[in-house]
Amino acid sequence: MVSLRKDTQARRTNPPFRRVLIANRGEIALRIMRACRELGMESVAVYSDADATARHVRAADAAVRIGPAPAGESYLRGDVIIAAAVETGAEAIHPGYGFLSEQSDFAHACEAAGIVFVGPTPRTLASLGDKVAARRSARAVGVPIVPGMFKPLPADGAAALPLMAAEAARIGWPLMVKASAGGGGRGMRRVDREADLPMAVAAASREAKAAFGDGSVYLERLIEGARHVEVQLLGDSAGKVVAIGERDCSVQRRNQKLVEEAPAPGLSTEQRRHLHGLAVTIAGTVGLRNAATAEFLLTPAGEFFFLEVNARLQVEHGVTELVTGLDLVKEQFRIAAGEPLSAAVLAAADASSRPARHAIEVRISAEDPSRDFAPVPGTVTHWREPGGPGVRIDGWVEEGTRVGPDYDPLMAKLLVVADDRPAAIARLRRALDEFEIGGLQTTLPFHHWLADLPDFVDAHLRTDLVARSWEPLPLRRIAAGHAAHAVAAHLLDATGGSSAAHTMGARPATAATMTTGSGWHAAALREGTERWP
Amino acid sequence: MAVTDPGTLRLTVAGPEPIVIELDAALPDGTVATRELAVSPADRATGIRRFEAVVDGWVFEVTAEDARRAALRERAGRGVRQGGPNVRTALLARIPGRVVRVWVAPGDRVEAGQRLVAVEAMKMENEIRSPRAGTVRSVAATIGQTVDLGDELAVID
Repeated sequence: MVSLRKDTQARRTNPPFRRVLIANRGEIALRIMRACRELGMESVAVYSDADATARHVRAADAAVRIGPAPAGESYLRGDVIIAAAVETGAEAIHPGYGFLSEQSDFAHACEAAGIVFVGPTPRTLASLGDKVAARRSARAVGVPIVPGMFKPLPADGAAALPLMAAEAARIGWPLMVKASAGGGGRGMRRVDREADLPMAVAAASREAKAAFGDGSVYLERLIEGARHVEVQLLGDSAGKVVAIGERDCSVQRRNQKLVEEAPAPGLSTEQRRHLHGLAVTIAGTVGLRNAATAEFLLTPAGEFFFLEVNARLQVEHGVTELVTGLDLVKEQFRIAAGEPLSAAVLAAADASSRPARHAIEVRISAEDPSRDFAPVPGTVTHWREPGGPGVRIDGWVEEGTRVGPDYDPLMAKLLVVADDRPAAIARLRRALDEFEIGGLQTTLPFHHWLADLPDFVDAHLRTDLVARSWEPLPLRRIAAGHAAHAVAAHLLDATGGSSAAHTMGARPATAATMTTGSGWHAAALREGTERWP
Repeated sequence: MAVTDPGTLRLTVAGPEPIVIELDAALPDGTVATRELAVSPADRATGIRRFEAVVDGWVFEVTAEDARRAALRERAGRGVRQGGPNVRTALLARIPGRVVRVWVAPGDRVEAGQRLVAVEAMKMENEIRSPRAGTVRSVAATIGQTVDLGDELAVID
């Protein structure tokens, strides 16, 4: 990035830090650097070999190579990253989300190296990792939790059998087996009857052991038809914690969020106050500092059950920013520099139970929504983002970017904001129509479908909405027909075909005319799989 | 390729699943973007052109060639495929896994969307449904059998 302006720093008298290292990549690294630039702070990027020419590297004031493409040899190398911070004179490290953001060892090592970790204390991070302990803490302060166990099942399968059956009978069916060290949907199993329980426990335990190095699991009730609602928290070093609003993240596939919105639709002011109060209470039990999110289930009966705290910036923080007008990343830096919660944050907290706007975010990822959202690496050959009023894009790809298999397939977040939810949905549809991406399959078709889905439009949200309603193959088949016609129209345009044929290409003929042989000769052939990884 | 007669064009839409092109729907309001892709020298020699068409975010590769030349090529390759919507459709495994259900047998009439076979992978049952109405010609899948990506499960005529 070339800028002839030299007075960036002069215009901001007291930035929280002079220079900051961003221990992340992709859209979130770019997002954090934008906050740095506006605050008058220099940013230091780190990158793997796969990202040597990536946008976050070009956007930074300095960049340090930290290793080869695999995350384990680059973005997860806390020691290398801290050395880079020391070498470049960075005073603070922002970890973004994922990678090292919730590793207490890394936060501790930063402190030991005299570098500020932008996040909670190492002790808080360590205590948040254990879900069963978090359930006990919540119970101790009277915050409702999903009915279930308060300590993990014994590791020895045979000895655990009678206890397992007794606990399951007490909790009720159907239930979930969950990993104590869990997260990201791993180590989780739904169980509907007692006969399946031992197998499910064994499988979840194996998965948890592989993913987290800890195979302990516990049982809790599965709540059918629940929504996923989470509360954005900010806390300063003096121990003051406030809630600045909630988000609904019920549109998920296999526990991965696809769409988030703020506020959660349909809550009363009293419900919001109650929910935000529960979240602040939970934060108090773990001594929370900086930005965090408390996740809850909202049952069809209107009860909130606490799930867990994520003590980091969330992917979906932008919808809260659009509703409140805050810049959460800037607030994170101010808090990390020891400043008390700003007047803007306190005002947002006061207004949080009466949100005045509505924001929606959809995640544009390199995933094939017709194949169960399987990641599809590829190179972006065409990229045109939407714009106009109330539209924000947090992305990192451009034409020529290779979205590789080494990292998460998120390419961009499309966010819209409007005065109310119907207007936000209309804006989302308009922005999706403007979004053009070529070269690889993305989740765009899913979002087109969702924006028109009556259950979504009417805010009948539940975490199994996608699993119950998303049937991509008929949609894709219809789109394939249009694709053929679009190409035909293109060929005719290019060659000056007859006007009758042109009309037919632009607007498809009926099935009847097709079978008479007077129309296009279109063939559906057995298709190879070689183009599809 | 000079296109003067619309009856002389064959369009093939590539994808992971056999697709029957439906021709009686209106164009969608969403994005329909078409871009020509580079072709190999071999394709250029046969007059094949490749396009990428994006419809409502679905990304397709579409191949266009002269239908008479395509038919000649097919005959030369002893292809069994016929033009029109009544081509044979082979359903391939989209994921490796184990066949846990088979709902149809050869000779059955099936409707579009009807369940044919279920493959279990990663503890999830994935139903393979018929992309169109037709007659089951053969069922290669048997219950308990392990299948790999791309293995043939059934063929619909």
